[in-house]
Amino acid sequence: MKKHLLLPLVGFVVLVFSVLFYFSQSTTKNNSKDEVSSLIFETPDFYNNKLINENTMGDFYIINFFASWCKPCLAEHPLLMEMKKKDIKIIGINFRDDEENFKEWINEHGNPFEYILRDDGTIAYEMGLIGVPETFFIFNKIIQKKIQGPLFYEDVENYL
Amino acid sequence: MKMSKIIYKLILILLLIFVSAESFAGVNELSDYYKTVRCLVCEGQSIQESDTEFAINLKEQIQKKYSSGMSIEEINQELIKIYGEEISFNPPKNHILLWGTPLIVLIIIFIFIRNKIRFFRKL
Amino acid sequence: MISILGNSIIYISLIVTILFYINYLTKIIPSTTVSLRLIYFINLIPFSLLVYAFSISDLTLLNVVENSYINDPIFYKLTSAWGSHEGSILLWIFLINLFGVFFLNKNQTVEIHKNIIFISSLFILYVLISSNPFTYVEANENILGLGLNPILQHFLFVIHPPTLFLGYIGLIIPFVISAHMLVNKNFSEKLFKEMLIWSKISWFFLTGGIVLGSYWAYSELGWGGWWFWDPVENISLIPWLLNTALIHSLQVSIKSNQLKLWSLNLGLYCFIASVFGTFLVRSNLIVSVHSFATDPLRGLFLIIIITYLLAVTVRLNIKSISNFNEDSFNLLSRESFLLLNNIFFICSALVVFIGTVYPLFSEMILKTPVSVGAPYYNFAFNMLLAPLILFMAFAPQINWGKHEKKDKQIPFIIIFSLLISLLSYYFSNNFYFALSVFITSPLFLKSILVLKTNFKKNISFYSQWLAHLSIGFFIIAAVCTEQFDYEENLIFEKETSNEIKLQNNKTAIIKNIKDEIFQNYKKISVDLLISDGQKEKELSPSKNIYQPSGQITNEVSTTNNLFSQYYATISTIESNKVGINLVYKPFINLLWLSAIMLVFSIFLSVIKKR
Repeated sequence: MKKHLLLPLVGFVVLVFSVLFYFSQSTTKNNSKDEVSSLIFETPDFYNNKLINENTMGDFYIINFFASWCKPCLAEHPLLMEMKKKDIKIIGINFRDDEENFKEWINEHGNPFEYILRDDGTIAYEMGLIGVPETFFIFNKIIQKKIQGPLFYEDVENYL
Repeated sequence: MKMSKIIYKLILILLLIFVSAESFAGVNELSDYYKTVRCLVCEGQSIQESDTEFAINLKEQIQKKYSSGMSIEEINQELIKIYGEEISFNPPKNHILLWGTPLIVLIIIFIFIRNKIRFFRKL
Repeated sequence: MISILGNSIIYISLIVTILFYINYLTKIIPSTTVSLRLIYFINLIPFSLLVYAFSISDLTLLNVVENSYINDPIFYKLTSAWGSHEGSILLWIFLINLFGVFFLNKNQTVEIHKNIIFISSLFILYVLISSNPFTYVEANENILGLGLNPILQHFLFVIHPPTLFLGYIGLIIPFVISAHMLVNKNFSEKLFKEMLIWSKISWFFLTGGIVLGSYWAYSELGWGGWWFWDPVENISLIPWLLNTALIHSLQVSIKSNQLKLWSLNLGLYCFIASVFGTFLVRSNLIVSVHSFATDPLRGLFLIIIITYLLAVTVRLNIKSISNFNEDSFNLLSRESFLLLNNIFFICSALVVFIGTVYPLFSEMILKTPVSVGAPYYNFAFNMLLAPLILFMAFAPQINWGKHEKKDKQIPFIIIFSLLISLLSYYFSNNFYFALSVFITSPLFLKSILVLKTNFKKNISFYSQWLAHLSIGFFIIAAVCTEQFDYEENLIFEKETSNEIKLQNNKTAIIKNIKDEIFQNYKKISVDLLISDGQKEKELSPSKNIYQPSGQITNEVSTTNNLFSQYYATISTIESNKVGINLVYKPFINLLWLSAIMLVFSIFLSVIKKR
């Protein structure tokens, strides 16, 4: 191969790849889910066995995943109780838990939740849960914010 | 020169075989697939290796989807949609720079061989 | 006390280095080996002092408080000395100077040694600015130290980091020799030979370190794998791949006077790659199993060092490129095969580099975090290394310069190995296994033929064959382990069942569960029996609970079956049930054996030269 052909060839390859690269950039959109999984409105409440009606939840509500075996959940629990006092609606989702332990936990520490669903992991999967506790803030049926790990006062200050 | 030509062809054919061999590289088993799913709460582990609640749940969910007739490819698409591309150790092929590197590298190899070895310069 | 002593020695060594440089430039008194030796010895002191402080648990040092526990066994106290970031940078300096001392016995050229001293003083500056282990802290009776991370409390971890570091830092000698050759335009064969020996020594430690690390991950992490394509592992692989290329290209430079600039550049980049590796790990830019504390200043300083080294490399290249002839090979010659080897190795290093850095790039520029793992590397490595291994069988038999004699064996060997691989595909029904058999069997066949005819050759011939052969064994073992392993998750309910039937018709039985208390941990172990009616295999996986952190580690238990292994860990242990994760790993021992062979082969070729 002639020496003077080499450089243009390399240049051409680089050009092709940079063009392809440009297009690949436009196809990778942020595709994280921002709608609430419909499963939440298809699973009956643990205590009164009713389905949750999304339309009665209002403009703003919170979904909180918790479990009795999870220690950080206990840390954020007082904050949730306080939010309940301020009339913020919270859907509690009990993630992969033993039924007896769960009941005991709620009886011992109090129930800050409007509704409680028990989940074998399916809802968590659809919501893209990473671990408990995890909290979703929903405005107008769209997830605006999610907090992984326990809530702190600063996180919810604006809503109190 | 005849012998050399045969060897040259042999090299090309072998390279072709190895490149095409990669098309066989599909994940056809569930446990093989688990190895390509990253456990997001661990550091660098796949869900196959991890015992965290996240990994166990994900394995169960994938198992459920798989037995309900979804293909691995569809499950993978759904996982990426929910958790983002970070979930998979096997990045989507539209990361051209990443997947293109081995191919660019092959081109470089070709150019080098042509330049350094007297025989190929004539071709 | 040690704090003051350590700090003052670091300052003294900097001052002595500066004095040495002033003297070197002004030439007031001629620089001698005595002055070099003095500087090397001064620089050896700080790390020795730190080790001493750890051995007596001097809790007035912040570093000791943070990284060791007063009741740890002495063995692990010493490990703590390089378990932390500060300690490992001191170890880095210690080893640079250790290599300097040994190199001084072989070569007394001051121009070369002044570069070693300069690089070492850069790292000493780094210690002073951002990671000083001799920080003083008020001793307090209640402070007993935080303890070494339990997963690092393993015999292998005592020797793994120093070995790997010896490998990384051994590359400094080829680096300074190449730099010296390029500056002085003195391309003597003697210096190339010296470079070869030192790069082999470094290769010995690098391979050893990587294997030890891999074995540590296999036996300690309890994930059942031996290579995870973890960023830290990748980073050690890049210098290894480049160094392998260097060893091969140096043969061409010495024997046929070609590829000289090529080898010298490889020599430069090898060391840069190892510094870069340290930078990536230490700055914590990339998440991995090995997590260290983050400090942007540390990363910045290492970036400056790397940029400096790269700038030097580029400048040397530009200045000396006119001194080299264009390389030109015959198609059928040893040189062209070695060139091919080099290109493949360098490209693999490039692929590993891109794969390691890409997630960082993607997150910062494309704003989409991605994970690059085994599927990518498998794709790239199969493509690049498979042809290489095929050639490995024939290349050592090709003559230098021009190969005239026709080898009639080649077609037969290829056909024969194709047959074997078809047979193995028929029996195993596994494409990868068949492919690996196809690429390695020429090597095995050729070995039998060659060793039969050339029985009386020198050591270097055997060491080279052994190295290539062990790569062949390694490939077969690795593919078998990955393709034919199987895993079972056994759950034993305590009251109802203590026996479970396995897939391969054996039974797993729990004998008993016991608690033991040791010096710094508590151990809960399960005795498990695997029997097939006649023979019984015992396993006792355990969970250790460490003081003072309360951290729990999974201890693996294995039992051998010639080349295969049962690998058991406890997945859950509750009051009423016990979960055991049992993995069957075929040919895993062959893998370790081939790695030992590989390390031994280079050892042979190094002692031959001495």
